[in-house]
Amino acid sequence: MTRSVALFATCLGDQLWPEVVEATVAVLERAGCRVTFDPAQTCCAQPAFNSGYHDEAKAVARAFVEVFERADAVVAPSGSCTAMVHRYPELFRDEPDWRARAEAVAHKAFELSAFLVRELGVVDLGARLSARVAWHDACHALRELGVHDEPRRLLRAVAGLELVELRTGESCCGFGGTFAVKFPELSTAMLDHKLSGLDDRVDVLSAVDSSCLMQMRGRLQRQGSRVRAMHLAEILASR
Amino acid sequence: MRVSPLTPETFADNARAALADATLTGALRRATDTFAERRAAAIGAVPDWQELRTRAAAIKAHTLARLDAYLEEFTANATKAGATVHWARDAAEACAIVRDLAQARGSKRLVKSKSMATEEIHLNAALAQDGREPVETDLGEWIIQLAGETPSHIIVPAIHKTKEQIGALFVDKLGIPPSSDPQLLAAEARTRLRAHFAAADLGISGVNFGVAETGTILVLENEGNARMTTTLPAVHVAVMGIEKVIPRFGDLETFLRLLPRSGTGQHLTTYQSMLTGPDPMGQGPRELHIVLLDNGRSRIVADELMRQTLACIRCGACLNACPVYQSIGGHAYGSVYPGPIGAILTPQLQGLHSAGTLPFASSLCGACKDVCPVKIDIPSLLLELRRRAVAGEQVPAAPSRGAAPTTSKPARRKPLEALGWRVWSWVTRSPARFRLATAFARLGQKLPFAMRLFGPMRAWQSSREAPKLAARPFRDRWRGDAR
Amino acid sequence: MNARAAILGAVRDGLRGASVPPLPPPVEPPAPLAVAERIARFTAVQQKLGGVVEAVADRRAACARVGLLLAQKGAAVVAASDAPLLAGLGDYVPADVALLPPDAPRERLLQADIGVTGAQWGIAETGTLVLASADERHRLASLLPALHVVVLPVRALLGTLGEAFAALQRDGAPAARTITFVSGPSRTADIELTLVVGVHGPKALHVLLVRDDG
Repeated sequence: MTRSVALFATCLGDQLWPEVVEATVAVLERAGCRVTFDPAQTCCAQPAFNSGYHDEAKAVARAFVEVFERADAVVAPSGSCTAMVHRYPELFRDEPDWRARAEAVAHKAFELSAFLVRELGVVDLGARLSARVAWHDACHALRELGVHDEPRRLLRAVAGLELVELRTGESCCGFGGTFAVKFPELSTAMLDHKLSGLDDRVDVLSAVDSSCLMQMRGRLQRQGSRVRAMHLAEILASR
Repeated sequence: MRVSPLTPETFADNARAALADATLTGALRRATDTFAERRAAAIGAVPDWQELRTRAAAIKAHTLARLDAYLEEFTANATKAGATVHWARDAAEACAIVRDLAQARGSKRLVKSKSMATEEIHLNAALAQDGREPVETDLGEWIIQLAGETPSHIIVPAIHKTKEQIGALFVDKLGIPPSSDPQLLAAEARTRLRAHFAAADLGISGVNFGVAETGTILVLENEGNARMTTTLPAVHVAVMGIEKVIPRFGDLETFLRLLPRSGTGQHLTTYQSMLTGPDPMGQGPRELHIVLLDNGRSRIVADELMRQTLACIRCGACLNACPVYQSIGGHAYGSVYPGPIGAILTPQLQGLHSAGTLPFASSLCGACKDVCPVKIDIPSLLLELRRRAVAGEQVPAAPSRGAAPTTSKPARRKPLEALGWRVWSWVTRSPARFRLATAFARLGQKLPFAMRLFGPMRAWQSSREAPKLAARPFRDRWRGDAR
Repeated sequence: MNARAAILGAVRDGLRGASVPPLPPPVEPPAPLAVAERIARFTAVQQKLGGVVEAVADRRAACARVGLLLAQKGAAVVAASDAPLLAGLGDYVPADVALLPPDAPRERLLQADIGVTGAQWGIAETGTLVLASADERHRLASLLPALHVVVLPVRALLGTLGEAFAALQRDGAPAARTITFVSGPSRTADIELTLVVGVHGPKALHVLLVRDDG
């Protein structure tokens, strides 16, 4: 059965890494989905929400709900943005009408790997990448959405790919949105700890979230590391 | 590291200073890693761990929702058992109660076992003014007292100090030969503190749980110093936050299964003392005084959203799990309660005006919520406190008669930041404006100099390469594909 | 207004109209373990905690074993509780050892090398000795000396923490004014998390499990 999927590119994906979004489209289509993209979309409102600016976040969240409430399923290449959509009902706790509409959207919003494995039951997408890949559990995907096994199962099915765990386990990369620029030294200390868990032979560091990857890539590049940061979708779209 | 009194207001500076101290960060990493491993091993052996957490959270939620009734029940039963119950609205009242008790009995030699509530009210300093400063008897607390510092961890107060630093401290303060052997240092502490115990006439402890049904207080520890403190002196004064009450004696079982495993990874701590009234016939003190401390708690109880903060059983698991705490330790929070629990509790006790930075000092990773034995949703409470800080609201929301007045001040407004988010929202809620704004950003990106004028970009680039806006955003490429 | 009225009033006002989630019902104590299983577990956990567990046949054998321990350890001063099980201990104490009763002067008790007490219950699951002050004066003898020797009747050995909490309540009140759980020797990890056994309380714990205490 063909699933119709409304793609949420996320603002970072749209503006900074369109190739990740294109890879997401390719992966979803390979999994048999019909993908639509509504250019009226912008952002999930998380930056304002997490900064305490709820009124400002609500205005953006309402726009999001209006764009996506008619979709069958909303899929984003991000655990954090998806988790934000799942928090909409809490954001609108004092507005029953919007709360109901937000709940409806939240129920059908999925992070990419969870959608592929849980909703579609797809694991092997016929991808091929010859690389040693270390997996980073993005915090919101892991702890708010319970995404842990799904990306690992998808990666194990990639031909030529060797999946390794980070020695620093499930610790945060230190991004945390505005936290990364409000407390840059602290954020970097957390980041350096996270990256200390990479072994010498890792080629690629991957995650489901572009924001974590932005943080980790920024440091790896600054340090002149040979490790590449790649979004899960890019790996799954590799042939 | 000599620590001057830090405050939450200077968190960013405090954190920077902590990060620059390689000895500190190394000690912290080792300690928090060790605790996290021990905790994981201990709870791995408990098949019904999640059910236990759910049960404990439910007991706490129920108790806090009828706290007045349980406090009255506790007081009645403790009194019936022969204890004297005192009530303190704030730190000053609590300190005065203890001081007056000591004065009236002519108690000069005071000993104290580890207690967060007495740290919160700065009891030692208050009693010192009167020439009655208690000797801390928990090894870690004693080290901190000798050093003139403050604890940096709820469970292990001297977690930030290496054995070499402690050895040097003992040389300096006690005149013993140099050593960095923990066995020798602990043996020295045993000898020195034994003399204090032998002479003590008043013992001060905290309370881990107070049982409403029986008036029992439970004190939990590993060293035996709390047993000494609550047994040897003729008078025992226990300082207890009003949120420590639980309904039934049998509920202790649930919490005893959770607390040591979460804190130190032990199945049980070595000692639990369950004290119901004074016990002179059983070789215990003649008098037991329980000081019930409000100090802002009644206001938190009144705040339905924030109430769960008071479910905390002070196990320290959230500290050990927190990547921020792991990196900088407890002093940087500038408050008695550090780490994730401190980041939600301190602003509620002190007010957002002075502690409004703490809720922002988190990447919201959620590791604290995962490990909390009473399931406090710390990330959601951090987000709610951020909202209130920005909205200029008071925390806790409702003023009350039990309140200390300092918390009535809202957080300082940040007009420029607020304007920034209003503009962001206005832009982002409209696809047309969003497209226009991002197009401008693309132009600005061509002038690296201009980008660096922008504070957040400068902060980012201090340690990381900045990402580049794509030449064409996805929305344009999608149309380009003519789908 | 006094502080009590102010605080209770504030809490009451603050909670007016609050919904009260239900209190979970008490935990049912689990089915008791077989005696052999209780002894095996208690012994294993005590050993992990750094304690020693030994089985003895009856109260006479227990007192004899304690006497031997006192001689072996070269104790000079011994603090003993008034546990009925230890009533005959005097016969076994070496002549050069001072045996202090619970009401001995505090300064003397502080000098004791070894403390000998009974315990009201044991908990196999956690390797715990439960000292309840209603039936025995053992607070000081169990705390001050460097070695604590405990005689525990096997029939008082319970399986789990749950069983213990059931046993500890008599008509809704705790079994004693002071109930102390002791699980192994005193310990600290306050210096770099390095385990040090015996900081303030006993450095060693020796449990004699008495099979027949009649």
